[in-house]
Amino acid sequence: MNFIYPKTPGEAIAGTFRMFGENHVTANLWKLSVAVLAASLAYVFYMLSSEGHAAFNTSSDGVNWGSAIATYVFFALTSSGLTFIASLSTVFGFKQFYPVAKRCIWLAIVTLIAGFAVLALELGHPFRMLWAMPLGMQIRSAMFWMGVFYSIDLVLLFIKFYLLWREDWDSSLSRFVGASSFVAVVLASGMLGLVFGSLAMRPMWFGSATSLFFIISGALSGAAAIVVSVYLAYGFDTRNMPAPLRALKLSDQLPKVFATLIGIVLLFLLTRIWVGLWSNQDGMEGFVALLRAPWFHLEVWVCLALPFLMMLSPSMQVKPRWQVLASVLVLLGMFIERLQFIVAGQNVPMFKGTWMNAVTPYTPSLTEWALVAVGISSALALYALGDRLFNLSDAPKEQAGY
Amino acid sequence: MATWGMVIDLEKCTGCQACTLACGMENNRLPGENWQDVIFFTEGSYPSAQLKWFPRPCQHCENPSCMAVCPTGATFKTADGVVLVDWDKCIGCKYCMVACPYGVRFYTEEKPLVSPDMRKVHASKDEHSWNPPWKMPDAREDWKHGVGIQPHDVVSKCTFCYHRVSMAPPGTPDLDPQDPKLREFTPACVVTCPPGARLFGDLSNPESRVSRMIGDKRGVRLLDQLGNKPQVYYLTGDGGAVPSNRAIDKKA
Ligand code: SF4
Ligand code: SF4
Repeated sequence: MNFIYPKTPGEAIAGTFRMFGENHVTANLWKLSVAVLAASLAYVFYMLSSEGHAAFNTSSDGVNWGSAIATYVFFALTSSGLTFIASLSTVFGFKQFYPVAKRCIWLAIVTLIAGFAVLALELGHPFRMLWAMPLGMQIRSAMFWMGVFYSIDLVLLFIKFYLLWREDWDSSLSRFVGASSFVAVVLASGMLGLVFGSLAMRPMWFGSATSLFFIISGALSGAAAIVVSVYLAYGFDTRNMPAPLRALKLSDQLPKVFATLIGIVLLFLLTRIWVGLWSNQDGMEGFVALLRAPWFHLEVWVCLALPFLMMLSPSMQVKPRWQVLASVLVLLGMFIERLQFIVAGQNVPMFKGTWMNAVTPYTPSLTEWALVAVGISSALALYALGDRLFNLSDAPKEQAGY
Repeated sequence: MATWGMVIDLEKCTGCQACTLACGMENNRLPGENWQDVIFFTEGSYPSAQLKWFPRPCQHCENPSCMAVCPTGATFKTADGVVLVDWDKCIGCKYCMVACPYGVRFYTEEKPLVSPDMRKVHASKDEHSWNPPWKMPDAREDWKHGVGIQPHDVVSKCTFCYHRVSMAPPGTPDLDPQDPKLREFTPACVVTCPPGARLFGDLSNPESRVSRMIGDKRGVRLLDQLGNKPQVYYLTGDGGAVPSNRAIDKKA
């Protein structure tokens, strides 16, 4: 879109409000997501003030962490993945990826904020966390380090975005910030994996593979998010795109990266379920439950295997419509993956009492679904805002194509 | 300094759940939220099915995984070996609940386990999560050690009746409820257990009754392979084994 971008904070605020009266894809996305955000947030606040967290279907008797944590993990890892994709050009010198770098960084910021917002509404005492975690200095806790690394990550993303906004693409400072942010994000997403992977008493999660899986599947959801958002920004029409971006979109490079990532994630899932079903170890029973869950099959066959084939097919991989469809499916699949990974890992209750000695059931409550909507709509609203205010298609002059 | 520990004799336990009830009264538990639970399950199938039971307090592990994962230090271990939650520091992230292999922790805000919801019937007007008509004296309440009626949105668990145990005269090897001088320092479940299946004492003292019973009757710990090293020991003998699996009905 060829917007006139605001230069001062005052103009930006005015622009934000003006968007309610504009009529283009970005403005429509903005209006829709702000409306959904307002409604879902109002509902969540109402339920939290009247029922408290008892409005959730999570329970001490089995599934302690439910859809809210899954949403947080989904967004945090998508954010990490977007930072990886941005690093392709800003750190590793694959210049053909420059046209999506700035958009990636903005999306990484907004998805991380959306994730944190959902997490804050899930936590019992989010404000207490702000002092209790830094003062506690619990260096043995993976969750402590996850907090440290994701906070560093967010700060670096803001700095990098500021530098790109100032059109500083390649100064040594800019490169240094890019490289540090890459390191921070590997540590952050890996540490998020260890929050689950270091728990020997939860065999479905246990092991260092969980960390690797989080990093790689994060890259996959980041890739999917950037494909969808680029098409969204140009009204799903490649003719509107600047030449280098169009070249990137229509070449087979992106689909190849995409297909490789889907392939690796499928391999991870396959080996995990294989080990899980084969093993007699106590605590692995959740895998049987998984195999019986329709969601799981939707994820594997429709949301991963199908896009995998689409992105391998030479005739489909370069067509925008299939790229978009594949990306949307992958994003849905990754959300299901986070949910089922977290829930299935807790399905085996731990001596929970007389009536809880089988695999425990869990379905999110309406409040929890509303919280998912809060996450998605806040990410989309902030994304639309950035698209309108910050020229996310910007790239170094020799790359920008105009 | 003592290292407090418990011994539960499965040969003597009759599954009467008096411990559960005594704990609920002593610690003002919400109905159904049993810090001290007796788990009933069946083993085998008709015609040789057996009804089994297994009393399970917090194991007050030597290496508590709940403490290792807590990002704020709200969960901590006292010098005398008791694992507690500081309700002023807990942020309600529930990581400790996920990481406890024995499932002994409870989050305050959840769907009520029994109806009517006692938190609504006896609603609290201050920071307490509810205001039951029967409760320990306010002076005993101690949020720094997770004792009393908990505030909203924190995690709670068995404290080994820290408000009692921590008052015991230093150097006491065993807190024996038969001894009138020690009775008020002994955990409520131990005091109440009708067949006397529970013993409580200092594990670091080789002369204590708990240490001798563990030695003589080969006390075992629950899921010992996980390395948490519980400070609750079970004497099995003719009382059967401790369960080695968590999900009893594998196929459900
Ligand atoms: S039984 Fe659970 S809550 Fe109790 S000390 Fe051990 S790990 Fe912590
Ligand atoms: S819920 Fe509270 S006690 Fe448990 S890990 Fe979180 S902060 Fe620590």
